[in-house]
Amino acid sequence: MMMTLRGPRLMGLSLVFVAAMMLGLPTAVPAADKNEIVIGATLPLTGMLSMMGAEQKWAYEQAAADINAEGGIYVKEYDKKLPVKLIVADNETDAGKAVAAIERLVKVDKVDFLLSDSTLPLVMPTAVAAEKWKVYYHATICLLPPWQEQKFKWSTDYFFDGAQATAVPFEVLDTIPEADRPKKLALLAEDSTDGRILGPIFKEAGKQYGYEFDYEEPVAVGSKDYSSQILKLKSKGIDGAILFAGSGDCVTFVRQMKEVGLNLKYLHGYKGTWGTEFWNALGQDAEYILADGFWSETYPYPRAEEIGERYYQNFNKRSVSIGLFYALCQTLFQAIEAAGTLDGAKVREAVLTTEFKGTVMGDIKYNPDGTAVFPLAAFQWQEGLLRRVYPFVEGASPVLIAPPWDKR
Amino acid sequence: MKTMGQNSKSKRRLALTVVVVALLTAVPGVLDPETSYVVFLLFSAFIYVALAQAWNLVSGYTGQVSLGNHAFFGLGAYVIAIGWSRGLIGYLDPLGMLLAGCAAAILGILVGIPLLSKLRGDYFALGTLGLGEILRLVTIQGRALTAGPTGIFLPSSSFTTIVPYYFMALFLALLATGVTYYMVKSNTGLALVATRDDEAAAAAIGINILKFKVLAFAVGAFLAGLCGALQAYYVFHVEPQGFFSLSWTIYPVLMCVLGGVGTLTGPVVGAVFLTAAFEVAKYYLPEIHPIFSGLLIILVIMFLPNGLVRLRRGRIVRNPKAA
Repeated sequence: MMMTLRGPRLMGLSLVFVAAMMLGLPTAVPAADKNEIVIGATLPLTGMLSMMGAEQKWAYEQAAADINAEGGIYVKEYDKKLPVKLIVADNETDAGKAVAAIERLVKVDKVDFLLSDSTLPLVMPTAVAAEKWKVYYHATICLLPPWQEQKFKWSTDYFFDGAQATAVPFEVLDTIPEADRPKKLALLAEDSTDGRILGPIFKEAGKQYGYEFDYEEPVAVGSKDYSSQILKLKSKGIDGAILFAGSGDCVTFVRQMKEVGLNLKYLHGYKGTWGTEFWNALGQDAEYILADGFWSETYPYPRAEEIGERYYQNFNKRSVSIGLFYALCQTLFQAIEAAGTLDGAKVREAVLTTEFKGTVMGDIKYNPDGTAVFPLAAFQWQEGLLRRVYPFVEGASPVLIAPPWDKR
Repeated sequence: MKTMGQNSKSKRRLALTVVVVALLTAVPGVLDPETSYVVFLLFSAFIYVALAQAWNLVSGYTGQVSLGNHAFFGLGAYVIAIGWSRGLIGYLDPLGMLLAGCAAAILGILVGIPLLSKLRGDYFALGTLGLGEILRLVTIQGRALTAGPTGIFLPSSSFTTIVPYYFMALFLALLATGVTYYMVKSNTGLALVATRDDEAAAAAIGINILKFKVLAFAVGAFLAGLCGALQAYYVFHVEPQGFFSLSWTIYPVLMCVLGGVGTLTGPVVGAVFLTAAFEVAKYYLPEIHPIFSGLLIILVIMFLPNGLVRLRRGRIVRNPKAA
């Protein structure tokens, strides 16, 4: 008799297929034979945030390789140094898939700790997942207030303080001679989670420094035409702006600015103007535009220059974020050693009580609520390079006013 | 009238279904649900089975290719998030889920009547595609009601075990398959298939085409809303980008295509197979898994355009001796 693959029989075979596939996935080493520390991370390796995810992955891998080169992390509980095994899972820049990836890391890979995902929409749901499975989650790139509201017990968050970050343009503007400063400012924050949260904070910070915005409007994400908005800026005589938008949108915006003939003496980009891709897309037109950044290889901290150079040698471009991710690993590794155990709750406690000295982000100290802050930096494209203009510590360059387009 | 052979076949199918369901019911008892990834994987697969059946009912049996499942899925999630965050419903509340499904069904009727009466084919597909985008923007602009782009956080401390989620997802998969089976085997099913095959002929014999199309669309929306509600309970964070993501429509479509559009078991087979295949690809090829997944889909559409469940049937037709 010819058997047909229809109905429940096929359903049953499919389930067998699933079981077989799952059995094919590696199984974790029993705790008693612990000979490595398994650290997992779900990252946007594909999708909209893949550029950020790739930098994050590289930094995590470098930190793991560096600590392993030293023999690993000494864990008192086992009275030996244990190497770090890093497992990265792609989340396709999708929160639902990030949560699923956490499940896999926890249940299949049996990770001891989790390193941060990328940006608030991915970090928050993964922090919730870590909370569910009681695995310590060492997070970053998540705005602090929404994270604090949740009162998480199994994660911490290391990020910039919104008030400090939004004050940067005004502190930089204050360094420009008054006669040269822009007279009319615009606030253009993208219509996204971060844009909507940061927009009002920019306004508040401006007020504190004595600056008012003469024009403000959300920037549509992924739009191919900003010309009507740019014409409005031109008609209102705007000569300085803060632009919070993704890389592609910033490129489109600046291109159309030039086409329409809008000259901004001071354009401080957030989020989308720091990447080498931004320079590659615009070339000379990117000159004088400012960018935010989590970190600078010009920071006077141990290994900062070395990590930056290593990244440059690998990718032939500079990064303003890898140091943050590298430092995140450094603090986790130090906390594990300080705790002397792989117990997540105890390691989190160690994170809160340890003073982390000499990371590539400088010294780091967490608050009792699980947060720690770092100053957001500012850079300016000068001769094709991102020169740090803020913070005003050793190695900072003065900010330059952009001349009219025809004189650049 | 059924022959003895058909009766025997039906009984055998029913028995096999009961066995498979019994085995699935036993899974959380056999495997430790807190440490076994298979339990979570099956939970995901069940949700996809229900979503794929929802799409199959509208597109496979009724012939109206809808690309708006993610709108109903997201709406169901937001009903739970808004209701729970305001204390109107509770944790894993069946009434809340019913409400979520009904809200999606009502939206399905409201949108379905104008769209299904005016649009056909690609235009209908594009119309439904726009629905998800509209709802995404509405929730982003929803201020306090939807918490804007940040979304609504739900009390994750309520979570104790995955077991109730597993059984609720299994129930949804069975419900979606059962509803589809019931509708297809009833007069409604005949009307739906007649509408799909030839609208003019169906209308000529007195079938109220719009009524049946809207009915299928609303039932599909109801099922998608239920799935969104359960996912909201599981993720504890409902936000516009993730819950109105087009992947909640595209994946179920692919699952139906792989398994067999317009068949009862096709979406089940497709959902289980693709959930597992994608999972393994993500594990072993973390950076290039979309290439693997894309390749798999291309190969399936090239070589199995009618889906896996028709594979053997096709061979039989091509090989008369085997028949």
